[in-house]
Amino acid sequence: MHPIIKYLISIMLWLTSIYAELLYAEQSSATGPHIQVQLVSEYTQLNPTQTNWIGILLKPEPHWHTYWRNPGDSGEAPSMQWQLPSGLSVGEIIWPIPQQINVAHLVNYGYEGQNLLMLPLTFTSSAQYQLGQQIEIKVDLSWLVCQEDCVPGWATLTKTFEISNQQQPSAFKPLFAQTRQRHPQAQKLSGRYEITDKHIVVSANPPTSEKWQLLPLKSSIIQHNKPQQIVASTPTQTSFTVLRSDYFIDDKQPIEFLLSDGESAYYLTAQYNTGLTTAAVGTESPHLALILLMALAGGIILNLMPCVLPVLSIKALSLQQQNLPTLTKFAYLLGVLISFNLFALAIVIFRQGGESLGWGFQMQSPWFVALMAFLFLAIALMLLDQIKISNGLTNLGQSWVSSHGFASQFATGVLAVLVASPCTAPFMAASIGVAMVSPPLQTMLIFTSLALGFALPLTVIFCLPKVAKLLPKPGAWMESFRQFLAFPMLATVIWLVWIYLNQTNSSAQLILLSALLLFALFCWLAQHSKGGLKVLCGLAIIACIVAPFYFSKTQVAIEQKTQHTQSYLKYDANKLAELKANNQVVLVNMTADWCITCKVNEQVAFNSSQVQTALADDSVHYMVGDWTNKNSQILSFLQQYQRAGVPLYVVYAGNHSEQVLPQLLTPAMLIEAINLAKKELNHES
Amino acid sequence: MKVKQYLSLAALAFISCFARAEIHIDAIAPNFSLTNEQGQTVSLSDYQGKYVVLEWTNHQCPYVEKHYNSGNMQSLQKKYTDDGVVWLSIISSAPGKQGHVSSNQAIELTQSRNAAPTHVLFDPSGNVGKLYGAKTTPHMYIIDKQGKLRYAGGIDSIKSANPADIKKAVNYVEQGLSALMSGQTISNKLTPPYGCSVKYKS
Repeated sequence: MHPIIKYLISIMLWLTSIYAELLYAEQSSATGPHIQVQLVSEYTQLNPTQTNWIGILLKPEPHWHTYWRNPGDSGEAPSMQWQLPSGLSVGEIIWPIPQQINVAHLVNYGYEGQNLLMLPLTFTSSAQYQLGQQIEIKVDLSWLVCQEDCVPGWATLTKTFEISNQQQPSAFKPLFAQTRQRHPQAQKLSGRYEITDKHIVVSANPPTSEKWQLLPLKSSIIQHNKPQQIVASTPTQTSFTVLRSDYFIDDKQPIEFLLSDGESAYYLTAQYNTGLTTAAVGTESPHLALILLMALAGGIILNLMPCVLPVLSIKALSLQQQNLPTLTKFAYLLGVLISFNLFALAIVIFRQGGESLGWGFQMQSPWFVALMAFLFLAIALMLLDQIKISNGLTNLGQSWVSSHGFASQFATGVLAVLVASPCTAPFMAASIGVAMVSPPLQTMLIFTSLALGFALPLTVIFCLPKVAKLLPKPGAWMESFRQFLAFPMLATVIWLVWIYLNQTNSSAQLILLSALLLFALFCWLAQHSKGGLKVLCGLAIIACIVAPFYFSKTQVAIEQKTQHTQSYLKYDANKLAELKANNQVVLVNMTADWCITCKVNEQVAFNSSQVQTALADDSVHYMVGDWTNKNSQILSFLQQYQRAGVPLYVVYAGNHSEQVLPQLLTPAMLIEAINLAKKELNHES
Repeated sequence: MKVKQYLSLAALAFISCFARAEIHIDAIAPNFSLTNEQGQTVSLSDYQGKYVVLEWTNHQCPYVEKHYNSGNMQSLQKKYTDDGVVWLSIISSAPGKQGHVSSNQAIELTQSRNAAPTHVLFDPSGNVGKLYGAKTTPHMYIIDKQGKLRYAGGIDSIKSANPADIKKAVNYVEQGLSALMSGQTISNKLTPPYGCSVKYKS
């Protein structure tokens, strides 16, 4: 056909569509080139008391298609402008599950053949219509119908309905029923996504299917013509990786997808996976509030301790008849606050100093957890009177606190803290433990809370002397109460031992439990022995504390030898430098538990047998850095590569070269990188 | 291995065998050489030091017709070629497919439509189209005087075939060129293109 004729035909087709629009201006259906469109309803009448389903029926010629809400690489979804009588409103289009339509190497999403786009029509509460009344519904419809070439069309469709309580099914009712079978599930899924150098990685928990495909609702998210990889990370968690669109804009906004296997589909909203930041922010604030509340309660309980209560009772009783100046009333509180905060400050300074020396006061390190277990067991033993601490200080302080001036009140506050230390020590130790793993500001807050709790009862008595009558009288009950407190402490030991298991293994846990038992035994023995035997017991106690560290170290070494394929080195900058200096091949993997991309890589690449074999080579060292919790060593490593987060994979050939691998790995990429590094080292030597 | 027990790895196997088309905005635009309607070879590198607009076109595509029948595309071409901008209309339609034209037809189309491109270039193999990841007609690109790609995407902000929408839409080519010419950075560097698919051979 001559092109000019073709051109003329296309102009004629254009005119036809305009003609069609005119011809069917008052009609519920219209015919355009290659397509028929119609405004239809499920029932012939509209019921004002319920949702009425109407629809736009698109009937293209065989092999011609219309489009889904996201048309894909080209094309356009139908659009509608409704003109409704007042009091009526139309909802969103319910899009049936689309097909993938390939055009050369491009991909479209749409519907070949007949398709019904259903919409709910409802009456608002203010609608005033009488039964039997006729109303007219009008829609300006535009569409694009394509085979390979495309023809757009426009039409205004009109349909008149009677308002009625009794509805007669229309001829299209079976089509509405069929179409509902092709709608996505009502259940909405939620997921998370991450952006790597080239891919978008989405994780969600859909029902099991091997045919899932992610169809974004916007055209500028993924490369529609590229294969999607599905990885089942856990029985419930599925991850999808797909190359992202050239037009993708990383604005960290939620992204909506339709997850479809062709038969069934779910809408999925994926939130940007911020991992570290949200996890930290999300849990920290309520957590801190709880800690502070517990510190306050702990402070109040301190007043009931056997060596504190008698002293404070004397003070309280002696003050009952007197009316103190306001300032003096609060001097005690001030004294307590200052001494507690000085103490906190000392801890913060000690800790900062320790950190710069490289001590890790972290719950992540098993040795710290083990040490805390010993500490809490010791506290329990102390409370059960199995470890005795001299009461000398208490007696000394008692005489101090009997006068009533500002200075005396202040001193009482300071002294109450110091003097009561034999009894408060267990609680203080626990607070110190928490403070060791908390940021400085939090440490100060915890101690302030503790101080407020501690000073609260007496300050209340100073201000409202009548309350003193409510103060419990010292007596034998104090001993029972103190002994009872040993049990929460023992519960804490259980928790710590459980944490320790997660960090190590069951044999290390057995060693720790045995050491704890022996520790308790020797404490008890020391209590009941004298002279040389007591010294021996002391030495045995120290041995008990040290034992788990010694054993856990040898244990790790043994495991590394026996299961070489599974083993990896924990990331350590010095160790890495040493391996590089010794001309070794080192693969560094920076990962985190919350990182979806990392998990996908671990399963697809690292767990594959070829990679396991490659890593088992004696000249290859596999080093893993866990960024799940903040860690300054890993941060500085990431910063060397201008990265703010994980994953990051680097392969070193000694000091000769380094390869930064893509964020989404295949087994072949890893093996190739390792082989290249080996080759380079062989060249050099 | 235990991990593998609950690891079901399903890689979909429809791997496309086409060269990866990737757009790198703010990077040097890849060079190409194509034949124009006069039979001469034109290369992008001929225009170092000038702004270059690439327009993927197919005169039978309704979305292209929208911008030509309304005179919108021609007025952009005139306005910017008068300012020294090089405007290259590229046809990647394969022989036998919609929009494929001979040299004479191309000249005739330019005259009849009163269009003003610097050159009409033929890419029947689709290689340059794939190099630039051209998906639709129209699909627009702006390259600056240093040869860097500064804009890629749709001609304007309203995705429709309706000429009445042209006035309501933001024209991204106009927005981009005027920003570049006044020494500013482009606010919308990448927008999803819209229109008919480019009628590639494969």
